[in-house]
Amino acid sequence: MATYKIQIDDLVRNATAKETAAIEARNAEIEAQAEAQAAKAAAKQAVLDKLGLTADEAAALFG
Amino acid sequence: MGANAQTSVPTFTAGEILTAANMNISARTGIPVFADTTARDAAFGGTGEKTLAEGQFCFLEDSNSTLFYDGASWQAVASASGLTLISATTIGSAVSTVTVSNAFSATYDNYKIMITGGAGSTASRFQMILGATTTNYAITILYNSYNNTASGLGGSAQSAWFNIGSISTDTLQLNIDLQNPYLTENTFLGGWYAEGPATGFINGAGIVSGILNNTTSYTDFTVSPGSGTITGGTIRVYGYQNS
Repeated sequence: MATYKIQIDDLVRNATAKETAAIEARNAEIEAQAEAQAAKAAAKQAVLDKLGLTADEAAALFG
Repeated sequence: MGANAQTSVPTFTAGEILTAANMNISARTGIPVFADTTARDAAFGGTGEKTLAEGQFCFLEDSNSTLFYDGASWQAVASASGLTLISATTIGSAVSTVTVSNAFSATYDNYKIMITGGAGSTASRFQMILGATTTNYAITILYNSYNNTASGLGGSAQSAWFNIGSISTDTLQLNIDLQNPYLTENTFLGGWYAEGPATGFINGAGIVSGILNNTTSYTDFTVSPGSGTITGGTIRVYGYQNS
């Protein structure tokens, strides 16, 4: 298990197991969001490729 | 009328004999300077000393502050600024979260939080929670890359406000306003996001806004990077004057 350092005001200490779990849960949520965004972008690009349009051309066409 | 209230502002004439009472008018006028509050409190009310009463001013050397006595306690002279610095926290070395305690209080309804300087161990983005709450955050970021490709991110019912500031290996950037964090009302967030030259996430900038959908009163907040750690830099919290 990774060791995280947390800071409360001016005090820095190692995270407890519970705090470590909270940090990793939020980081996992962010990673999932990034993956979802990448998948969305890939799907969008696939449609543009199929239509033979660049992103700028699509923006000009659809606003 | 208080013990030190004046009924006139006298002018003495040439050749006039000045009494002790006359001299006291001069001795008790003006803003006395003290080293600290202890010295100040010891200087009033004793034998041969002025009676402390409403309207008295003082200047304290240790805090470089001017205060006035309202009849019950000493009060700070209101600042002309609309923003008051509440706290400045220096971020430690390679930390994963930073909690700022007692940031919010009944003194202010609205706050500005800024993070400047420092650096991240890797390109990432700031997230924030209030108190220990990890539910009901909603956030949206509308951004444009520096080469002009528009996009956006958003989510509701999340465990934190995600993507509210930029973390790069050369700098940290967060600049948000919070409305109502201490009040028992929904807390609203608004601010802007701009990546440093070494970030490489969206290579752009945008605006962020969101809500914490509960009516809990908070005093603390915690910021953390989405991945990696942060080192150095300063978290400053300002309060917007209510009036």
